[in-house]
Amino acid sequence: MRRGVALVTRRGKGVAVLMVVLLALPLFIQDPYIINIMIFSLLFGVLAVSWNLISGYTGIFTFGHQAFFGVGAYLSALLSMKLNLSPWLGLPLGGFAAALIGGFIGLPCLRLRAAPYIAITTLAFSEIARIICMNLVGLTRGEMGLWGIPAFPDFTLPGGLEVSFSGGNRTGYYYVLLLIFFATTGFVAWLLRSHVGLAFRAIREEQEAALSLGINSTRYRLLSFLISSFLAGIAGSFYAHYILILTPTSVFSVGVMSEIIVVVLVGGLGTFWGPVIGAFSLTLLLEYLRTFGEYRFMIYGAMLVATILFMPKGVASKIFPEKG
Amino acid sequence: MLEISNIDVFYGDAQALWNISLRVARGEIVSLLGGNGAGKSTTLRTISGILKPRRGEVSLSGVRLDRIPPHQIISHGLAHVPEGRRLFPNMTVMENLLAGTYLLSAWKGRMAAVEEMGKIFPVLKERRNQLAGTLSGGEQQMCAIARALVSRPRILLLDEPSLGLAPVIVERIFEVIQKINREGVTVLLVEQNAHIALQIAHRGYVIETGRVVLEGAADSLLDSKYVKQAYLGL
Amino acid sequence: MFKILLEQILNGLVLGSMYALVASGLTLIWGTMKMLNFAHGELYMVGGYILYFAFTLLGVSPFWGILLAIGIAFAVGLFLERLLLHPLMDKPGWDVSPLVVTLGVSIFLQNFALKAWGERFKSVPYFIEGTMELAGFRIAYQRILILVVTATVMVAFWMFVKRSRFGVALRATAQDREAATLLGINAHRIYMYTFGISSALAALAATMLAPIFLINPWMGISPLLKAFIVVVLGGLGSFGGAILGGFLLGTLESLSVVLLSSEWKDVVSFAVLILVLFFRPSGFFGTREW
Repeated sequence: MRRGVALVTRRGKGVAVLMVVLLALPLFIQDPYIINIMIFSLLFGVLAVSWNLISGYTGIFTFGHQAFFGVGAYLSALLSMKLNLSPWLGLPLGGFAAALIGGFIGLPCLRLRAAPYIAITTLAFSEIARIICMNLVGLTRGEMGLWGIPAFPDFTLPGGLEVSFSGGNRTGYYYVLLLIFFATTGFVAWLLRSHVGLAFRAIREEQEAALSLGINSTRYRLLSFLISSFLAGIAGSFYAHYILILTPTSVFSVGVMSEIIVVVLVGGLGTFWGPVIGAFSLTLLLEYLRTFGEYRFMIYGAMLVATILFMPKGVASKIFPEKG
Repeated sequence: MLEISNIDVFYGDAQALWNISLRVARGEIVSLLGGNGAGKSTTLRTISGILKPRRGEVSLSGVRLDRIPPHQIISHGLAHVPEGRRLFPNMTVMENLLAGTYLLSAWKGRMAAVEEMGKIFPVLKERRNQLAGTLSGGEQQMCAIARALVSRPRILLLDEPSLGLAPVIVERIFEVIQKINREGVTVLLVEQNAHIALQIAHRGYVIETGRVVLEGAADSLLDSKYVKQAYLGL
Repeated sequence: MFKILLEQILNGLVLGSMYALVASGLTLIWGTMKMLNFAHGELYMVGGYILYFAFTLLGVSPFWGILLAIGIAFAVGLFLERLLLHPLMDKPGWDVSPLVVTLGVSIFLQNFALKAWGERFKSVPYFIEGTMELAGFRIAYQRILILVVTATVMVAFWMFVKRSRFGVALRATAQDREAATLLGINAHRIYMYTFGISSALAALAATMLAPIFLINPWMGISPLLKAFIVVVLGGLGSFGGAILGGFLLGTLESLSVVLLSSEWKDVVSFAVLILVLFFRPSGFFGTREW
């Protein structure tokens, strides 16, 4: 489907509507609580889209995506705190650092194709990252928490509009993340239509059928790791300068991993809009469930089970019958 | 004894067998012949319950086999030696035979049954502690047949026993098949090697692209021009 | 120094026997069903809590408490397999779906325990108090009990799998499911019991360690990760490998604690895991299915 045609289809119209809604939202709602929910939706959106790229489209089902999120977060935080680097620079640097780790983690996964081995390997790497972060107390303050991470610096737009970043007015944060979100989804959409996307899907066929299709699997597997981890790293960097405090558990834990997996699987693994749908609906659902306190994660677990059993293709397959 | 009536069998949406009907009377050896992909194995797997027909019936002495789960079929006296033998590679010959006595009725007398197999197939007795995956082709085939016989079935299904084996070995195996038939075991034999399959059989069927195209007494099939040209290379 | 090292190795063997016990269940499921059970740690946790409640609510002796824990865990395992895994088994995506569904179960059970029984750690008393002298070392009776129980159970289980009718059926199903079916073996029933046995083994390990490590909703996370390491070291699917791997990991950990520090022991273990995956993915005894 040519890009030019895409805009005029029903789905293209839907995408345009979504974009307009997201762009216009802060003009009507300034309540920081609501903006915060939207920010978390977008954050999970980026994480979900990036994880879906490697797990859903390339077929390499990883269990360590949280490591890239955490690396991006801590690196950007520490660079800005110890070296006075601008948080704006921290965004891409966090991404690159995460990509470096991603490439490293991908190495053993190039030979090991079976899903359980990939699961164990990626999980092990992620745990190593978590424990190292926890133990280097002198640097990261471990579980006591890394406080006082600088927020993005306020700046003035060419037209004279002041953009500020604070707890009271989160609109600035929202638009920065929205930009990241659009860039991420746009990039992934473009990537999937390119020959790289084709190669990724071919690798998924290889994985599922445990065979070899003769393409240069190794190169593209590595590429998938690099790209997906880069995007997650940027998300992490943003998170650090938004939430302004980090602990190893808040970014590196198995809990974060589970949330990403639930979001993508409920939304629709291997579809384009599935991760986005999942991210928004689950973040909203989780907020709604706050009233149910301790039942929240039980419900998450139950949803994951129910999805796999009854709706393995996720919600997206119900809305968009053909594969994204 | 064994009646297959008008079965249609599908793999997913792809039809593999069309309106197949077969009969095997008690005490007979019946051969089912056909080339690669003709549907011979599919037929056997439908009889032994791994596949279920979408239409038609499979009955053994009046019992509808197509209605019961595959693991229960052996308890009705039908044993299937699958294509490629399918021994348990990391278990010894002895253990493979013991697996054959899994049926509760057979388990009690399992040591005696295994002893018997040792007499019919002396080479198995020799190699009883050897891992099945390391046996030669002929030994594997004998082990597979023994494993099926050890539950004392009334009818034995054999899927291409001669595949990949040297003629001398094939002869010996077919001698054994004749011997057990004389002792009362009915045999349904699927083969590509039409010559030897028709030599020991009483009757035969020829199947092509999922349909029965010829049936009759083994002798007349051996004489038939069609069979001679298509399957005997004459 | 040498004495400390030796003492740690002894501790490591005790710990290792527990790792072997936990890992054996995991490797049993992998060998038979070709899947990884992410909820294995929670079945361990269930065992621990049942023991606790057996003590506090029923006041039974450790023997009966352990038996109860094993029995209930077995039943839970059967139930989980039949309800959640059986429907997925012959459908496409079987390489990934059990990972996800058991992850869901894991999340659910952890938070269920949290909700139902609270976040405070619970303790149970040692089954046998006191220590004894062995070749110049002090060793707690509880730890000797652990070693003895583990060894007995492992040997008994090995013989069960090798000789019994169920054991033959189990190994047959694991090696060729269709051929096993033709011999009258109900593969689905085997899978159910496999899951049950695996859960029982995990629960047994929890009951043995409960007096030492305390009971809480997250007590299964670490054993799960350790079990992963063990089965990779020993080879996925190999029972003997799980035993060897367990002892290896236990010893490695204890030595790490004394030579490095207890904070870094897990990093060492995970690093060893990754190295093994790099250079010898099939482990020591595993099959070439990677």
